[in-house]
Amino acid sequence: MLGTKITNFENKSKPSAKMGVLNSEKRSDQWSLLLVDVGLNRSRKSFAQLFAHFAPLLKSFAQASRHEGWFPGLSEDLVQEVMIKVWQKAAGYNPEKASATTWIYTVARNCRIDMLRRKSNTQHLPLENEDFWHEPDEETPVTLLRQKRSEAKVQASLAQLPPEQDEILRKVYLEGKSHAEASEELGLPLGTVKSRVRLALQKMQILVAPEFRDELL
Amino acid sequence: MSIPKHHPDPAMLVEFSAGTLGTAQSICVAAHLHFCEHCRNEVLRLDQIGSQLLSQSEPESVDSNLFDSVMRKIDELPEEEEIKFEKEDLRFPLPVAKLFNKAEVVPEWKKMSSSVDVAQLVTGQSDYEVSLHKICAGGKTPKHSHSGKEYTVVLEGSFSDESSVYSEGDFILRKEGDEHQPMGAQNGECICLSALESPIKLSSPFGFLMKPWLRLNPM
Repeated sequence: MLGTKITNFENKSKPSAKMGVLNSEKRSDQWSLLLVDVGLNRSRKSFAQLFAHFAPLLKSFAQASRHEGWFPGLSEDLVQEVMIKVWQKAAGYNPEKASATTWIYTVARNCRIDMLRRKSNTQHLPLENEDFWHEPDEETPVTLLRQKRSEAKVQASLAQLPPEQDEILRKVYLEGKSHAEASEELGLPLGTVKSRVRLALQKMQILVAPEFRDELL
Repeated sequence: MSIPKHHPDPAMLVEFSAGTLGTAQSICVAAHLHFCEHCRNEVLRLDQIGSQLLSQSEPESVDSNLFDSVMRKIDELPEEEEIKFEKEDLRFPLPVAKLFNKAEVVPEWKKMSSSVDVAQLVTGQSDYEVSLHKICAGGKTPKHSHSGKEYTVVLEGSFSDESSVYSEGDFILRKEGDEHQPMGAQNGECICLSALESPIKLSSPFGFLMKPWLRLNPM
């Protein structure tokens, strides 16, 4: 995701994967194009446009956080840290894998965790959160198509979720609550929280094979 | 490489994607994702929830100097040189490999029993003890029960217990009270990543009596 490669995986990836289908289905939303421009050409103009759009959203995202140890004064620090990372890492952005918004969300999520860890740790963790998302570099021709379809699906169905499912997703993604914390806060059994999340995921078709997953819950 | 058959439950992937999963569990999930394309794709889709919620946020105006301040910091950034791990050295998934001392590509093993070696990893938290276990080929471990949660991810080789055979990438959760007797595969040693809930977190008043088989010296 962040433009890193591990050679061990190269023999696993399919040689023909990078060609063909993808070219006919380029990602062309404004933000993704700007982000690619920043990555390729180090364009400050494009970066300024990204900043104007994303900084206020990121601030809002930061202010929604209810993590232990988080306070509103950290919000602009987070915005700043995320935007600097965006500049630094833009070259590794792969528009075939994610939209600019999704990519920036993952940068923000990782920065937020790292900031919290830095604040709370007495011992040093030799990892940054983005290391957890270090993926072997393999591409399949259907990736972009599949991704775009699923993005559209998530977008459309997120807006139509029943309020009780929407509420929990917001708690988890924006406030940063675990399922257990959400259940405590809402006065609901943990099983209810998990099943609401699962229903929401099914509606958004995020779980590919729920029948296979069911036995795991 | 075989395809993993045992996966984290979706709730864990949701917390991983939202960034609310604890450090130790995140390391285990990350190690599993290294092997499991299925779950990687699921996480990519889950990230879109965060992405959508971010893009639908009510924009909050930022300090008018913030952009200039960011640009100033960008100009002060050192030349972009990234210290990358030597790729050939990555015997284990990156989030695991990075937990070793940089110079020390192979972890320092200590004998735990005649058939099991252990190497503890430093993860900057004390809720879970994170370590690597190496079971020698055909090695039998003592039958033991768990007094807290334990997450295990197979990194190399395979092992089995009463209920199944576990191979590379498989993600196993043992809960309090589970009892099992893992056995290394006959055809080679098996290396697993494990995160064991620290004894201090145990809710049972008699937890200390059930001396966890895998307990190490607390850091």
